[in-house]
This record gives sequence, structure tokens and C-alpha cells, in this order.
Amino acid sequence: MSNINKTMAEKDIRLVSSKQKFGHFLGQFFVYFFLIVMAIIVLFPFYWMLISSVKSLDEYRLAVPTLFPREILWGNYVTAFNQANLGTLFLNTLYVGVVSTILSLVITVLSAFAFARLEFKGKNTMFAALLATMMIPGELFTITNYVTVNQLGWMKTYTVLIVPFLVSVFYIYLLRQNFMQIPNELYLAAKVDGTSDLKYLWKVMIPLALPTLISITILKMMGAWNSYVWPRLVANDAAHQLITNGLRNAFTDASGQADIPVQMAAVAIVSLPLFLVFVFLRKYIMKGVSRGGLKG
Amino acid sequence: MKKFLALFAALVLCICCFAGCNGGGGNVAPDLDEVDELPAFDTSKEVTITFYHTMGANLREVLDFYIVEFNKLYPNIKIQHEQVGGYDDVRDQIKTEITVGGQPNIAYCYPDHVALYNLAKATQSLDTLIGSTQTVTRADGSTETIGLTEAQIADFIQGYYNEGREFGDDKMYTMPLSKSTEVLYYNKTFFDKHNLTPPSTWDELEALCAEIKKIDPDCIPLGYDSEANWFITMCEQLGSDYTSATGDHFLFDNAENHAFVKKFRDWYQKGYVTTQELSGGYTSELFTMAETDKGNSYMSIGSSAGATHQRPDKVDGAYPFDVGITTIPQMDANNAKVISQGPSLCIFKKADPQEVLASWLFVKYLTTTVEFQAEFSMASGYVPVIKSVGDNAVYASFLESADGGDAISALSAKVCLQQESAYYTSPAFNGSSVARDQVGLLMQACLSSDAAGDVDAMIAKVFADAVAECEYQAG
Amino acid sequence: MVESKHSWKAWLYLAPAIVLLLVFTVWPIINTVRLAFLEDYNSSMAIGGATYEFGIRNFAKVLQYKDFINCLTNTILLCVLTVPLSTILALLIAVCLKQIKPLQRALQTIFFLPYVTNSIAIGMVFAAMFNMVGSAFGGENELIITAGIINNVIEFFGGQPINWINSGSAYWANIVVMVVYIVWNALPFKILILLGGLQSINTQYYDAAKVDGTRRARVFTRITVPLLSPMLAYVVITGFIGGFKEYSSIVGIFGEKMGPAGDPGRLNTMVGFIYDALAGDHTGRASAAALILFGIILVVTLINLQVSKKNTHY
Repeated sequence: MSNINKTMAEKDIRLVSSKQKFGHFLGQFFVYFFLIVMAIIVLFPFYWMLISSVKSLDEYRLAVPTLFPREILWGNYVTAFNQANLGTLFLNTLYVGVVSTILSLVITVLSAFAFARLEFKGKNTMFAALLATMMIPGELFTITNYVTVNQLGWMKTYTVLIVPFLVSVFYIYLLRQNFMQIPNELYLAAKVDGTSDLKYLWKVMIPLALPTLISITILKMMGAWNSYVWPRLVANDAAHQLITNGLRNAFTDASGQADIPVQMAAVAIVSLPLFLVFVFLRKYIMKGVSRGGLKG
Repeated sequence: MKKFLALFAALVLCICCFAGCNGGGGNVAPDLDEVDELPAFDTSKEVTITFYHTMGANLREVLDFYIVEFNKLYPNIKIQHEQVGGYDDVRDQIKTEITVGGQPNIAYCYPDHVALYNLAKATQSLDTLIGSTQTVTRADGSTETIGLTEAQIADFIQGYYNEGREFGDDKMYTMPLSKSTEVLYYNKTFFDKHNLTPPSTWDELEALCAEIKKIDPDCIPLGYDSEANWFITMCEQLGSDYTSATGDHFLFDNAENHAFVKKFRDWYQKGYVTTQELSGGYTSELFTMAETDKGNSYMSIGSSAGATHQRPDKVDGAYPFDVGITTIPQMDANNAKVISQGPSLCIFKKADPQEVLASWLFVKYLTTTVEFQAEFSMASGYVPVIKSVGDNAVYASFLESADGGDAISALSAKVCLQQESAYYTSPAFNGSSVARDQVGLLMQACLSSDAAGDVDAMIAKVFADAVAECEYQAG
Repeated sequence: MVESKHSWKAWLYLAPAIVLLLVFTVWPIINTVRLAFLEDYNSSMAIGGATYEFGIRNFAKVLQYKDFINCLTNTILLCVLTVPLSTILALLIAVCLKQIKPLQRALQTIFFLPYVTNSIAIGMVFAAMFNMVGSAFGGENELIITAGIINNVIEFFGGQPINWINSGSAYWANIVVMVVYIVWNALPFKILILLGGLQSINTQYYDAAKVDGTRRARVFTRITVPLLSPMLAYVVITGFIGGFKEYSSIVGIFGEKMGPAGDPGRLNTMVGFIYDALAGDHTGRASAAALILFGIILVVTLINLQVSKKNTHY
């Protein structure tokens, strides 16, 4: 290519890009405008939780709610901290959350791999059946499962909090979708090289699906933090009680009505670690798949 | 996709085979009311009793203190108690636990909870226990009759005690623990200033509302917290039918009830009255708003246990107005009827009769011990269930301190105790809570719906729908 | 494809999931189907020793419920309105979040905050935003103490306040509030999934588009959406499955009466019906309703799978 041609081409690009720049700027403006509006909408309940946590019970009950507390009661946080056994609740929840997340990830990865990469008889039927289990409201399972775990002798143990919900079809399906995006050629090449399934899974699939795995980790941890009905039924003793059970109804005024502001303060306290975990994991989600290899 | 359907068909088929065997096991524990003679209570054998309740931290403290006192009498009875959550949580927990026989020994209950447990034949009726003349020697050397003496039964406020027998089979299932009712809170400062008298009948109330509206057109004179209580109390005051524990359950669709609902609709439309659901906020908050605010109330009918919520916030260190408390308006002021609410205790059947006996001794201790009743009432804002608490020095001085400001809980308790003969209870059966919900919703609909010109037709339709819903949900 | 002699391996990988599912999911489902065919089965009475006949009366009872059609309509309406809306919004937010540079971290963190917000707080916010306090709304003696934040905004711009959720409110207003609430609730999960999905797209495609000077909208429709299609399919299909089970969000706004004051049950859904039946211990009736719902979701999912098969690019 001659020098002249080259400079001509560069000029063209510059011309195009200056026109593009204005469009780009306008686009960026709209992108930010949209995101910030949505962010405010999403932030509002969180703000409400924080201001409610420093209101008095009387102010919380007002007919015309106040947008900013008339008087800031930090004492709610002290009450929340002193009244509930936050330390034990936190450790129990952390233990259940971490163990069930790890086990659940292992099961999910293996199952999703089988569905995405392996060929076996009855695969489609099996997958369809799996999806079908999601279509029945889970509330109907409670009594049967309660009888089952009682017969297994699992009442008031960590097992009963962890094992029944290890398998989530939602996550298997999600990960399978992600695995399906990884080109089959990689797998076949690995087979030719004599790489074992597990090694391939560990070295190729898992790194490539890391953002999804992190998402699953977050969701599973959230699950431990928010689960309420089942833990209350099967392990509500002091030694195994989880955080939501320990906090709901733990704070009442003299006549036995829930003291919502103190409850909000307690929730704010226990949400903090969760929030930090997210901020930490966010980096990994956003790092994404730097190496090539993913088709789409 | 065919596979999907094939799988589903296969599943249905295999279930049909399954369904051949009938559900239901029937692991029912023995009933102490059906044994010939009550076994003796063995004070040497250790028994552990579990107790589910809804007590907050301050009440648990009181309970713990009296468990220690109880153990001085019965060191062999170990009490494990647990705050399960709210009343509904206690019910749901026990309902599930009954399926595997894991229910507690004692629980906080409302009558409709017990009606539910009774479907599974899980609660112990108390008649044999109450009637027993057997004696036990306690650890301090004194003796105690297992049953209740006549003096003890007479000491209970009758309306509270009778609630335990409202199940249609004439058996006693529950013992009252602590109770509340509805009272009328009024703005005493405003009433004094304008020379108004708190109403004792609904007619007086209507005239009073008109007068208050003249003084302050921008107000809603009365806020009634609970629509369901309003309806049920009116049935009781009028003597009209509400529900029955036996035969046809849902009897509330009748002309008398149509008539009073129609009258209240008129009041609502005129702006005399509102309720919690219709106003969209707590009625106590309308009552505690400043007089200058639009939409404030001068009267409020709500739970006697929530007196502190009916007191305005202090402004510059003083309450902006003084609160007065009195009995709610009546049809006949000489034959007053007020609702009774608040927890009772029920005992569950167990394979070991010693557990049931121990549970009974503890329930009896909590419900008949003056000191416990006094302290529990002061801590909770509820009222004691036995009259002799009034003679207790500490409680008497608590009542003495009653005023419309700092000691508003004492004032509310005082009013409750003065109307002790007025408490009524409603029948309890499988579906009584549905009836309660439905009449509350019915009130909301009848008061606020657009009648399109024909109020009677609208009311008739709403009543008919409510009965149909009750019968569907309960049948 | 891979030879089928590896079949045993696949089953081995699936074994832990299958065992757990058999015990804690399949067995309860079988039990549900069994109870659906035991006429008038009541779980408490069954413990008390009652026995039940095999038959289809539970299904008949469900279909005879006077508000059955209403429950079904609400369920379908809410699902059809909220799933596409929340998916599109989540997709836009995820794509925008990915392409910005300044504030990226802060904004991503904000969109995670709903996860750590207590559900009671969310319910309270909606009360503050949409709830009117006062009396006799729409009547001649109407008295409004506060019209709620949204109405305050409407009035600020000169509009008329709207009765959103209180007694006398219109059905469409109730539905609008529910759609806003459900979409709001669904956003964080969908953003998380789609953001994860976007990270898996090879940046080479975008680099190529940049060199070609392809327009933004075209990049979005020709690269982002197709390459994200597996995740979009996932979000839509699971969204529909979850959407048909809508219940707790309605309780969050309207309470267990499932409608505005004066018109209970107006917004009741299929799962709301199942809850009522379970609360009354009519386990047989609840199971029958669950199977009917299952049938509906199954048909919708089959259609969804067919559509997504054509449009998904793995």
C-alpha cells in the first residue's frame, strides 16, 4: 500500500469519527440518564430501610410518612445488637450458606456438564422432567418434606438446613445454557488429546463460565440469608437458628406488636457482610472471560 | 416434546395406583378425659414440658422469673419455652408438627387455632383435670389439689373463662392467660372544651358525630380500628345471629345485620367514621394527629392493649391533649357487650400422662397465681384474667396511678376491669376464622362500595357473597 | 457427537442431583398428585383418622370456585405484562452498565442493593408511594390526608391524583401498581444473569463492529441480542414459570385480602387460591389446583421452548 493511500484512509477515519463522536456523546448522555433514573428507583427502598431503622415506632406509624426522620434514633441499632443473639445467628447462617453454596456448586456443575456436553439415552426427557419440577408451587412440598426429614431423624441439625435444597433446577438450567455456548470443538479436541472429562471441566469449562458461577454463588448465599419458612419449621432451636428467623418477630413493643424500626436496624446490620461479599465478587463477574474461546 | 407429555401421562398413571391406599394414619395419643381414673402425678420423675408462645423479651423475663418460682414447688418439671413468632406462626408451626406428633405440650392459642388442632384430635380437653380432687405434695411440703376449686373458678372473669367451652361439644379446651378488649379512646381536652360527653350508646354517638362535624368540618370524628370486631360486637349487642359452632355455621346474613351495616354505611358516607383498611392508615394515628390537621379524629375504638399508640407524641415536653378512655358504645347501655381478645393456653395430648399432668399444673399456676397475673399484665398492657389481682398491692397502686398521659396503660386496664361482666365470646369451629375475616371484608365493601343507586341490593349481594365464600373455604 | 458408551458417565455426574431430587422434589410431587385425587382430603382430619375416597371431586371443586376465572385472568395478565417488560428493562440496564466507564462500579453496586433490602421495607415504600390516607374516597365527603408520593408528583405537574390501591380504586390502577412492583422485584435477578451472560461474549465481536463503524442500535440487535440469546431464553422461560406463581407480591401491596378495601380477592391469583386452600387444610383441593396450574405452565413452557429453539444461538 502506498503512503498516499494510507493517509487518505486515515483522513477518512478521522472524518467519520468526529461525526461519530457527537453521536457517541449524545448516546453516552442517554445511557447515563437512563441508568441514573433506574438507579434512583432501585435505591429508594434501600433508603427507606435505612431511614426507617432510625425512626421511633410512633413516627414509623404516622399517617403521613416522613421522608426524613424527625429525630434520628441510633439507639435502635444498640437495641437490635443487644437483644438478638446476632453473633450466633450470623455464624449459623454463614456456615449453612457457605457449605450449601459449595456443595450446590459441585452438583450444579456436574449436572449442567452432563446436560450440555454428554450424549446419553433419555437426556432430553430427563431435562424436560427437570424443568417440569419447577412448575409446581413449592409450598405443596413442605409437609411431605417435613415428614421425610423427620423420618430421616434430621430435625434440629445443620443437615436439614442444607441438604433438601442443594439441587436447584434453576441453577442447573442456567449453567447448562452457559456451557452450551462453549464450542463443542474444544471438548472434542480435548478428547483427542486424552484429557479426562473432569480435567476439561476444571481447566476449560469452569473458568469460561465463571461469571455465571459467581452469580449462582451470590444467589445461593442470599438464599441462606433470606430463608424463613423451612428453617423455622425444622431447626428453630437456639443452636441452629438462622438470621431471618432470629430477627423476625424478635423485636416487639410492650403489647407484643412488632417493633419494625428496630427490626430494620437489625436487618441493616446483618445485610452489611452480604453487601461486602457482593462488592468483592462483583469484580469477578465483571472481569468476565478475558481469554477467547467462547463463541457467543 | 412428546416425551414431556408421555412422562406426564406415566406420572399420572403411577399415581392412580398409589391413590388406592388412603391417606391418614391416626397416631392419636390417649385422651385423659376418657380414662376411668386420672393417674397420680409422680413428683419424683423428671418431665420436660415445651411451651410455644409469642412473648417479646420483656415478657419472657417475667415468665422466666415465675418458672423459677414454679420450680420451687415442682423441681421435677422442666419448662422449655420458645417464642415461635406471631400468633399465626405458632398455629402454622404446630399444625405441621402435629403431622409427625412433634407438637409442644402447651401453646398460646386463639379459639380458632384449637378448632384446627381438634380436627387432628390433638388437644386435651380439660374437664377431668379441672374436676380432679386428687392432691399432690409439693416440694415445699404444701399440698395442692390437681383440679380447680370452686373459689378458683369463681375468681376468673366469667367471659374469659367461658371462652374455653365455645367449641360446640360442651368440653373445656383452653384456659385464659391474659386478655384485652376494645375500648373507646376520646380526646378529653377537646371534649371538655366543647362540653361534650363521651357516648354510651350508638344513638348518642351519631348525634355526637354530627356535633363534632359542626365544630370541625375537616375531621373524621371516629376511627374504628377493626371492621371484623365491629360487626361481631354489633351482632352480640343486637342479639342477632353471627355463627354457630354446631349445625349451619354461617348465620350472619339476616335482616338485622343488613340494617346496622346500612346505617354505618350512611355514617361512613357522611364522613362520621372510618376504619383502618378504609382509611389506608392506622386509626390511632388519625386520633393522635394535631387538631389543626385535616382528617384527624376525636374518638378512636381500638385494642385496650395498644393504649400507648393512642397517646399523642409530646410537644415541648407535654402531651398536646389528654386522653380519656371508656366503654365502647352499646345498643343497651345497661346490658353492655364488649369483645374479648388475647391469648389463652391449650394443652396437647401426649403418650405419657405425666407430661399432660405436669403441663396442666404449669397452666394452672400461670392462670391462677395472682403475682404472676399482676406482673404479666403490667408488663404487657393486657389485663389479668382473675379478679383477685385487683387486691394485689402492686397492681392496685398501678391502677391508682391511671391517667390520660404517662400512665395510659393503667387507665385502659382500669376501664377493662370495670366492665368485667360485659365480655362475650364467639363460637369456635373449623371455619370460625374464615367467618371473622369475611365479615370484616364485608363491612369494608358495604361501607365503601359504589351502590349504583340501590344500597339494599348491594348490601344483600355482599352478604350473600360473604356467606358463599365462607362455605367454600370451610366446606 | 460423543459416543454413547459414555452414557454411564453422564448418569454418574447426574447421580447426586437425581438422588436428592427424587427424595425432596419428586416424592412430594407424587404425594401432591395422590392427594389431588383423594376427594376432599383434609390434612388435619387425616391425622385425626379420617379416610378419603379416590376421585376427581377436588378438580371439580376448584373449577366451581366463583372466582376461579378471575384468579386465572389475573395470573395470566400479570405474567404477560411483567415478563417482557422486566426482561427488556433488565437487558437495557445490563448493556448500558457494561459499556460505561466512569461510575460503572458504583452503579453496578447500586443495582445489587435490592438484594440486601428487607422485603418489609419494600412493602413500606410502596405504601408511601401509592397509598392514600383519608376517608370516603370518591364520595361527596371525600377527605384526603395524604395522597402518596406518586400523586404528589402528579399534582406537582398539574395532574389529577389517582386512587391507586385504596377503597374505590379502579382495576387498571391496581394492575399498574402490581406491574411496577413485580418488575421492580424481578430486575436485580435478571440484571445479574444478563450481566454475567454479557461477560461471556467474546470482545472480538465488538472490536470488529467498532472497526466497521457499526451503529449502536445495530450492534445491539445484530451482536448482543443473538449472542445473549441463551441467557435471554433462560430469563424469559424461568420468568414465565415464576410469573405464573405470582402471589407474595400481591400480598405485599394489598395484604392477604388480595384486593383493595371493599373488593377483596379482586387481584387473587392461582397460587393465592392454593394458599387459601392450604390455610384451610384443604390439601386435596390445593393439590388439584396446583396440577391445573402445572398443566397451564407446561403448555406455555412448551411453546416458549419451541420459540426459543428457533431463535437461540448456542
